[in-house]
Amino acid sequence: MRLLATGVLSATLILAGCAAPTGVITSSGSQVETRQMQTREYDTLDKRNTLRSVVSTLQDLGFVIDKADYDLATITATKVQNYEIRMTVTVRERDGKRLAVRANARFNSQTIDDPNAYQDFFISLDKAMFLTLHEVD
Amino acid sequence: MRAMPPTVHRTAATLFLVALVSACATLPEDAFRLSESAMELRQIQTRVYADVSDVEILAASSGVLQDLGYAIDELEKELGVLSASKRADATSEAEIVGNIALDVADCILTFLLGCENHSYQGSKDVQDIKITFVVLPESRDNNAYSVRLTMQRFVWAKNGELYNQETISDADVYQAFFDKLSKSVFLEKEGV
Repeated sequence: MRLLATGVLSATLILAGCAAPTGVITSSGSQVETRQMQTREYDTLDKRNTLRSVVSTLQDLGFVIDKADYDLATITATKVQNYEIRMTVTVRERDGKRLAVRANARFNSQTIDDPNAYQDFFISLDKAMFLTLHEVD
Repeated sequence: MRAMPPTVHRTAATLFLVALVSACATLPEDAFRLSESAMELRQIQTRVYADVSDVEILAASSGVLQDLGYAIDELEKELGVLSASKRADATSEAEIVGNIALDVADCILTFLLGCENHSYQGSKDVQDIKITFVVLPESRDNNAYSVRLTMQRFVWAKNGELYNQETISDADVYQAFFDKLSKSVFLEKEGV
């Protein structure tokens, strides 16, 4: 009996250990809050110059560009020092009037969920976006 | 049990704290802020080329990368982005000789315990170098393009561990690349 109990307990523990790590794969935070923190809208429809501003800002911050796609308006980049940050930035049109720039990043093996970090990124991007936003025809 | 002297406690506490802090590395506050040296680094990393098209510059850039044995990982003409990488030897001859000499000395000193070959095993072995070229039209000149290069390297030790990762900021390295790019622009135009 004791042997059976030990067997059942061991099997339970093994199965529990093999359970898919749902929290790690899909995360459990609020999607709305995450999007709000990671997104900033700009009063322009100039996708090309907005993406170029994103690339320049990433280079200014010490990133190397891993992937860039104009049609899907997506840039992925990595920064290394004594740590590693991997970041994806996307640009989407909103209401036919504005562009929404969204950035999500990981620091080493953790998701960056500090709103201040994204705020700092957008402050840096604002400087590069200045010319795009104030273009003279 | 005999009480340990306070200095031992302090040392143990310090070691524990150091271990704790290094285990929970946190995002540096300035990770997404433009540093004071950002503009200086931008100048080191940027050159302007006149009387060429973006396609000519990108072709010349990939030519330089091929000359130097890099493989192109990403190319997006619309955004002027070209990324490439290569794996290269990270160990100089001098370093190998030095480390073997250290090992020999180590063996002589610890011959009763046996040799462990720490220095050679821990020495650098290969490095992965990643480069991005970004070609953008100059706002003041329709026929000119600025080329900005950024480079990183990851150095791996012989035992497979990441030894070092850094952004390359050495002006001479960038200058050497731009010298080759200027030559490549000329060679592409001449059809060589």
